[in-house]
Amino acid sequence: MAHLLERYDSARHGWSRREATHLLWRCAAGASPSEIDRSVDEGMTKSVARLIDSQPESDEFTATENLLHRSALKSGNINSLKNWWLYRFLKTANPLAEKMTLFWHNHFATSNAKVRSTEKMDVQNALIRQHALGNFAELFRTIARDVAMLLWLDGNANRKRHPNENFAREVMELFALGVGNYSEKDIKETARAFTGWHVRNDEFWFNKVQHDAGKKTILGKSGPFKGDDVLEIFLEHPACARFVATKLLAGFVRHDPDSAMVDALAERIRAHKFEIAPVVQELISSQVFYAPTSRRALIKSPVELVVGAHRTLDGRAHLSECVQLMSDLGQNLFEPPTVKGWEGGRLWINSATMLQRANFASQVTGGERFGKFGASPRTRGSESETVTSYLDLLLAGSVSKSTHQELTNYLRKAGGSTKEQTSGLVQLIMTLPEYQLI
Amino acid sequence: MKTSRRNFLARSAAAGVVSIGAAAPPFLNRAAWAASEEGEKDRNDQILVLVELAGGNDGLNTVVPFSDEAYLKARPGTRIAAEAVLKLDDALGLHPQMSGMKELYDEGLLSIVQGVGYPNPDRSHFRSMDIWHSARPGDEEFRGDGWLGRALDQSQKDHAGRLPALAVGTDRLPRALLGHKVNVPMLRSIDAFKWNNGSGPEADRKRRRELIEKFAAERAAGNPSLDFLRRTTASAALTAKRLGELGDDYKTTAGYPDNGLGKKLKTVAQLITADLGTRIFFVSLGGFDTHSQQEGAHAALVGELSTALSAFCEDMAEHQLSDRILVATYSEFGRRVQENGSLGTDHGTASQMFVVAPKGHRKSKAGLIGKHPSLTDLDPEGDMKFHTDFRSVYATILENWLEFPSEKVLGGTFAKLDFV
Repeated sequence: MAHLLERYDSARHGWSRREATHLLWRCAAGASPSEIDRSVDEGMTKSVARLIDSQPESDEFTATENLLHRSALKSGNINSLKNWWLYRFLKTANPLAEKMTLFWHNHFATSNAKVRSTEKMDVQNALIRQHALGNFAELFRTIARDVAMLLWLDGNANRKRHPNENFAREVMELFALGVGNYSEKDIKETARAFTGWHVRNDEFWFNKVQHDAGKKTILGKSGPFKGDDVLEIFLEHPACARFVATKLLAGFVRHDPDSAMVDALAERIRAHKFEIAPVVQELISSQVFYAPTSRRALIKSPVELVVGAHRTLDGRAHLSECVQLMSDLGQNLFEPPTVKGWEGGRLWINSATMLQRANFASQVTGGERFGKFGASPRTRGSESETVTSYLDLLLAGSVSKSTHQELTNYLRKAGGSTKEQTSGLVQLIMTLPEYQLI
Repeated sequence: MKTSRRNFLARSAAAGVVSIGAAAPPFLNRAAWAASEEGEKDRNDQILVLVELAGGNDGLNTVVPFSDEAYLKARPGTRIAAEAVLKLDDALGLHPQMSGMKELYDEGLLSIVQGVGYPNPDRSHFRSMDIWHSARPGDEEFRGDGWLGRALDQSQKDHAGRLPALAVGTDRLPRALLGHKVNVPMLRSIDAFKWNNGSGPEADRKRRRELIEKFAAERAAGNPSLDFLRRTTASAALTAKRLGELGDDYKTTAGYPDNGLGKKLKTVAQLITADLGTRIFFVSLGGFDTHSQQEGAHAALVGELSTALSAFCEDMAEHQLSDRILVATYSEFGRRVQENGSLGTDHGTASQMFVVAPKGHRKSKAGLIGKHPSLTDLDPEGDMKFHTDFRSVYATILENWLEFPSEKVLGGTFAKLDFV
């Protein structure tokens, strides 16, 4: 089924605003009019490379980011760290790296609700960011020794005579293999291998006295395994690449990928030896990524909703209000609800969150609660053309003819100042059910 | 009498609330309560209002063993005088600020489950609250889900698009409501449910509102996610309308106190009246961590609880909804029998839970359930021993009230109590 991941032939199938906005919504949570123009001009290869390759950050970004980061650590207030992370999302020149940082934060979901340390959450976040587009195996090995993770999953409770299965179970179920690929016995044996992985003086500490050095049998292999050995057993297990493939497809392509897709991507993951950047590069250049059934197949997360509005409309965010809104909508950064992370998809949406999403649109266009929003696409010509240019900017994809006509009629009849007229149009577009899809 | 869906529809239609028109597909009418075929059942389902008393309520000064020598001896500076308590019997009385709840008790609506706790009590606020929320006392695993979240997960319904539970006035989502198949919204106030129509001329704002509803009513487009979003948008618009109308002229003669819990429970009452299909409401009252000079603070808190709760019950009775409402309170722990040196009390263990449930749902009369724990047979820390596992209370609520199976949710079978 390798053809699923065959390169999308942009020369033959086209590279228009539709493809460019699809790519930019999925990988950068939206883009400004000029960024979209540039992507259309440059074509797929360069657009994808710009997302994958590290871009230099501006001095302004670096200075502000540093300031927010320092003050968050100084205050020890986790909410300040959330503000800092949102700022990064909004203004970084490397949006895909930021998306992947959140992706792995969700994968290795650790919550400050239990860790209760802004500093340790920050250390984990930096560790994830460092490997976000790097090597999964390396990230996996590193995060297994991360202090926040060990506190989160009760490392210190895992002792020779009283193995604690929490870490072992989650490593297998949620980090590496997925349910159905191991037995309860495997969990017990794995827990033994991780006995003595403790935290002392806020650092990882291998507590030799509490380590069970006996023979273990895990997934059919036997030996006096230590924790590190077990991580390698998981990485070599065929379920691991499939598990990561499933997650990547759900994050980039569609919520419920079929097994042929999963197999095809898992094969590429193994071929690239768990290097994430080339895998993502192939995925977002693939036929399946641009296939009609993959368009508008994902529901925007609260982060994508908020970041998208700012990136498309050149917002200057009121960070704490935006962070609070994302939390109200179900995505509280650094505090995923459970070790399973945010389930996402349709669970983001109910009548309460839908109303809040609609009210966010009203605030963005008619208020200043979440920030100030400036930019607009060039709008010369008729009302119909104005509607088209705003739709192109704000939506990933088109709307029905009748919707377009209704929007045009709205603009024709609208009173008030020109600014009020376009604000009303933008509010309408941002309240379209289509707006929640990318 | 139950508020029937038909009555509600008739009223709404007469008031022009349901304005979709005859041509609209049937799901849009149903979307009014964000439910599908199960709508009818959801309408009449029983509702749980869970009131958290955060900080560790001093149960001994709430339901006071006023004639117990051991109480008088252990509480020389913080005791409630026998002549001041609102007597329930010869041995026990409610705190003098709790006249509202005393009335509920006298009417046979209030039960007091005594001596509730769990084995190996933890005296950390965080850990103990976590145990009450997760209902997994012996389990060090932190999967993060809670007892009501798990109950919703196991109800096998598709919760997407619906509001099976709401947390009202909390800063963060309480763990009790965390599940893997449900995303429970938090509602800081009723205003969060108001539709903000943006700025600009009134006529344009009105047109936008109409267009939004029109777009939401568009037919299937071969994208199930888009259909789902349209249905939910239609549902949100109707919810906002109904709450807007109810919010602006919500009528009750119930005398809600002007305090935090009063406001939260009034919001809950409005949401229940709006009939959104929500079956579980969570509110919290904090400040019970009374380590020093506790008299005034504690009196204010139990007074707030009592006045707010009795107003809420009055309101529900006025709306003829009492039959569908059960209110339960809990706190992460009670406090130590012996007062400390600063006219306060330290973290303890077993305490009571209050339950308000309609008449006609239990075998015996509402009242005291279980004995008051002994004040002399204490654990090594000087704390009372529990005799009723909190999961028995949960099992009773789940099985006898919400009609959810409890065994998987609670990880075992627990004896059910006779408060509902």
